[in-house]
Amino acid sequence: MNRHLIALLFTPLLLLLIVYPVVALLSNLELAAVGKTLVDPFFWDSVVNTILSALAAAALGVVLAVGFGYCHLFLKHTLLYRLANFMNDLPIALPHTVAGLALLLAFGRNQFGFVGPTGLAFTLIAVVLAMFFVSYPLAARTVASGLDQMDRETIEVARTLGDTPTKAYLRIALPVLGEALFSGFLLAFARSLSEFAAVIMFGGNVPGSTQVLASYVFTKVEEGELAMAVTASAFCILLSLGLVIAIMIGRKRHVTT
Amino acid sequence: MLQLEKLILKLGGQTVLNNVSLQVEPKIHVIIGLNGSGKSSLLKVIAGIWQLDNGTVSINGRNISGLPPEDRRVGYVPQHQALFRNMSVEQNIRYCLRNKRGNEARIDGLISMLGLKDLLSKRPQTLSGGYQSRVSLARTLASEPEIMLLDEPLCDLDVSIKERLIPTFKAALISQSIPVIYVTHDAMEASLLGDSFSVMNTGVLSVVQSAEDAFNTIRKRIFNNNTNDRH
Repeated sequence: MNRHLIALLFTPLLLLLIVYPVVALLSNLELAAVGKTLVDPFFWDSVVNTILSALAAAALGVVLAVGFGYCHLFLKHTLLYRLANFMNDLPIALPHTVAGLALLLAFGRNQFGFVGPTGLAFTLIAVVLAMFFVSYPLAARTVASGLDQMDRETIEVARTLGDTPTKAYLRIALPVLGEALFSGFLLAFARSLSEFAAVIMFGGNVPGSTQVLASYVFTKVEEGELAMAVTASAFCILLSLGLVIAIMIGRKRHVTT
Repeated sequence: MLQLEKLILKLGGQTVLNNVSLQVEPKIHVIIGLNGSGKSSLLKVIAGIWQLDNGTVSINGRNISGLPPEDRRVGYVPQHQALFRNMSVEQNIRYCLRNKRGNEARIDGLISMLGLKDLLSKRPQTLSGGYQSRVSLARTLASEPEIMLLDEPLCDLDVSIKERLIPTFKAALISQSIPVIYVTHDAMEASLLGDSFSVMNTGVLSVVQSAEDAFNTIRKRIFNNNTNDRH
């Protein structure tokens, strides 16, 4: 029994702090509220906004992560890489309200007034940029970790066969990074789905326009429509579960290949 | 001819190559040394994968010290083959054509010489270690290098497979008529392949007369080190 002491201490804490809140939420589901939420057009708008913006943010994150991967492979001793590496960690440590405010000041009406009365702020582009800001580090870290696992000598041989660093990266490194890119995309997508603070600061919370699922839940709580907030939250949980399963399958495939 | 003059390489404050000088004619020169003696570092420096701290590397009078690996025309066969797993054997061997190096006729000749004709459509990871070594050699020779560097290419193989492969390797290397540096710590490989020999010890290279002399030198050093440790 002593052999499993840590597991015995861990299990109740896991149940209390992770499983119990989820169960508490799901047990508050009301059938009437489910119906009411599912016919609310703003709910579906927020679902579409969330998924499309998260997809765009994750795709942008992977594109930049591919660029970071190049620096990780060939420019590791340069100032550019050190700066890029440092900036990868910054969004993780930064309060996301601060990230949202920074984006607002950078891309709002003062700097980007020429694209519209509010600049890029309070548009779907702002939602995508806010999601990207907080999710990109996950994609970059996953790509870097994938590169660390590959056989560096294949790159060295490709260079002696006439490849420039760019060609070697595109022809040799990227094709074997498929799983890492997929995992990076999924992680960035999952992080984007759950983002609230940066999105609401920079993208706003306009129903039918820039409202996402997280801000829909917040609005319903503020309006006193708790049962509708619970329904939307349950939908979020379902979406997250689907993603977690996809990530697990992705990791399993990565391990077996 | 390959000429190395006073090569110095320092990594993390340690001198890995200490004033290494060597001339290699279009023959097979074998470098013998213990693990960590600097043999592989020397090859990486000649190939341009690592940057020298000092010294010059010249091929036929052309100083290549400051050039990136892709501009050196140096063939490099690493210790663990490093084949491109996402490509077929044929795509591996013909890889240099993407960079406008080598030619079809020469590559077909290499494929026949190394007995790879029936394996072209296979993925390299499905082949035995011996055949992976052949593919790695063919891929490098296909690019028409001006010198060849081989870093213990047969170290993962059984003795019986090595015995069968060494003549094939030797014939393929000799047919190129270019300087070859072959790194090993295997006595049989050294004596069967080498035309000239040197010993690498803690970054210092010394030319010796034969493979036997090389291994005697190494044995003496190990004996002296052990004696000094006891005292």
